[in-house]
Amino acid sequence: MNLIKRYWLTALASIVALVVFVTPFIFIILMAVKDRQQAALRDMSWPINFQLVENFLAVVQARDYMLITAYINSTILTVGSVTILVIVASMVGFVLQRHPTKWTPVVEFFVMAGLMIPPAVVPTIWLLQGIGLFKTLHGMILIEVAYNMSFAVILYRQFVATIPREMDEAAIIDGAKPLDVFFRVVFPMMWPVTVTNIVVQSVGIFNDFVNPLYYLPGRGNETVQLTLYSFQSQFNTQYNLLFMDILLVTIPPLLVFLFFNRQIVAGLSAGAIKG
Amino acid sequence: MTMKMTTRLARGAALSTAAILLATSANAQTLTFFTGNDQAVVAYSEAVAEAFEAANPGVTVEVEVGPGGTERDNMVKSRLATGTMSDVFVYNAGSLFQAINPMQTTVDLSNEPWQDSILESFKQTVTAQDGTVRGAPFGMAMGGGVLYNKPIYEELGLEVPMTWDQFMSNNQAVADAGYVPVIQTYGDTWTSQLFVLADYFNVQAAEPDFAERYTNNEAKYATSEAAMAGFQYLEDVNEAGYLNEDYGAATLADGLRMVATGEGAHYPMLTFALGTIGQNYPDNLNDVGFFAIPGDSPDVNGATIWMPTGLYVASEGPNVELAKQFVAFAASPEIACDLQMEVAPVTGPFLVAGCELPEDVPAGVADMQPYFEADGRTAPALEFLSPIKGPNLENLTVEVGSGIRPAAEAAELYDEDVRKQAQQLGLEGW
Repeated sequence: MNLIKRYWLTALASIVALVVFVTPFIFIILMAVKDRQQAALRDMSWPINFQLVENFLAVVQARDYMLITAYINSTILTVGSVTILVIVASMVGFVLQRHPTKWTPVVEFFVMAGLMIPPAVVPTIWLLQGIGLFKTLHGMILIEVAYNMSFAVILYRQFVATIPREMDEAAIIDGAKPLDVFFRVVFPMMWPVTVTNIVVQSVGIFNDFVNPLYYLPGRGNETVQLTLYSFQSQFNTQYNLLFMDILLVTIPPLLVFLFFNRQIVAGLSAGAIKG
Repeated sequence: MTMKMTTRLARGAALSTAAILLATSANAQTLTFFTGNDQAVVAYSEAVAEAFEAANPGVTVEVEVGPGGTERDNMVKSRLATGTMSDVFVYNAGSLFQAINPMQTTVDLSNEPWQDSILESFKQTVTAQDGTVRGAPFGMAMGGGVLYNKPIYEELGLEVPMTWDQFMSNNQAVADAGYVPVIQTYGDTWTSQLFVLADYFNVQAAEPDFAERYTNNEAKYATSEAAMAGFQYLEDVNEAGYLNEDYGAATLADGLRMVATGEGAHYPMLTFALGTIGQNYPDNLNDVGFFAIPGDSPDVNGATIWMPTGLYVASEGPNVELAKQFVAFAASPEIACDLQMEVAPVTGPFLVAGCELPEDVPAGVADMQPYFEADGRTAPALEFLSPIKGPNLENLTVEVGSGIRPAAEAAELYDEDVRKQAQQLGLEGW
């Protein structure tokens, strides 16, 4: 009795979470192993013909192994942009918070503008063409960095405020050069917010659909989200292959989350105590 | 198999590594080709590319697949505007073609020798305002009308209706027998427009100059009895209670399932859907027939035709000459007829002279043939005769078909929508 009283809310929350998060995932898996006829019904039914291997091979082999190329592209895009974002945004956040000058409001205005003003496609393409980066992965990486920079800078800026200034001063007194102060003292202490940034940005960039669609056209430039177009179209959709593709595309972000999950929790609580 | 897979993997890896290392430099012998993403279109595009590579050693064709619908409109326009379109691209003919400013963005193909074998009815839909022809047909024509379930017709002893009244009495018989008389699928809003758009043959039969007067701001849907009829039909079938229960949420896939497997009798649709039925319900493909939307008189009965997409050459591409060769190759009967029939399902007649449909076409395609063989039993859809098509038609037809808005009011609102679109296109007289 006491147990029920104590844990009913937890139990209820678990059940709700199960329904909300696990049901769609089960639906994806069931759809992914059905044959084409049954998948066209799009209902929550047990597959009549199990086609796990057939569907998997059909998706992977589609359009000359496009999915493999897409995985490589997406991985480079995600890892590349998140690395640059973390390094650059943490430096900007640190300087903005630690050394206010008369330029600080100007920089902050541009950071806010990056959040508020929506990017325009045609001028961006024009600029990329001008510097020869259009239709290239490194151009795409720079775009993702630019679009997500503001959010990352704001996260870092807020966090740096919780790191005591005495830490920097102690390091300087001990003879550390400016770069050492940042990379060997401050940056490691920013680990919790770095993890948050890595998770949020990598999921966002990995799942980005619209930007690669416009800025990274061309055969061989596909990212994983764009492979969904191979199986879904206005007039004719192969639902079994579409859901198999969704399943394959969902796995990497899920792994990232599972891998970093403990770190996020540990990092957040550690930061809270220090702050 | 494993061997092949490894080399392909390696090639995929090498390809993307190369893409990272350097910006792709323009190679004179590489042709880029931007096509649609329907399964049949992709299969056909890749087959054409492969055949072209085989016929022209040293040339590589890169096939790029892009989305359909409004996303394609945005993408094609932004890529043409920035000069980043592939050398050859596939896009709609008719009013959407006019909207990409073809005189600037595409290459004039009027004087190419292969134009002689292209049917005039297609050419006029890819002709820019200065009278030059800019495209070649890529695909098959489609009929717009009603897909019907033949076993239900046989069971109830019904005949293909030649007038709207016969159609409605057929519906009553179907309803009495316990089947769904008319399938509507507003989960995919565009499917709601068929009663209005596919009725254009009857509009043209009653008012032969409707398209011209409509473009010149003289004819209106709300004031033309013939043009109003399409909206009225939608209202009629809803009021009579002939629709499937889930018409508000059902999708194209549901509608095709219902008409193919005999859950419902009639589904107003384009005949491209026969290709999808052939893939999803191969056993039921020949259970689905086709008839045109019937009008007032049994003597005037014909189908409204949708033209296939066109193949265009982007004017800013680096390989215009090679691209022209590619289009000529794709428009030749060997490719446009023989190869296409081999790799894609036959869903309608061809637009290249000398192309014969095979004997064993699906029943629905066979039902289209009589319309094409007789004189004056086909008319192109209005969107191929006039550059104006209001973007909100599908919302209005959903409202009428759901009984939310009366037909007359929807027709008036559509006229207003058309006016805005015409002003946006900068047409004279609006």
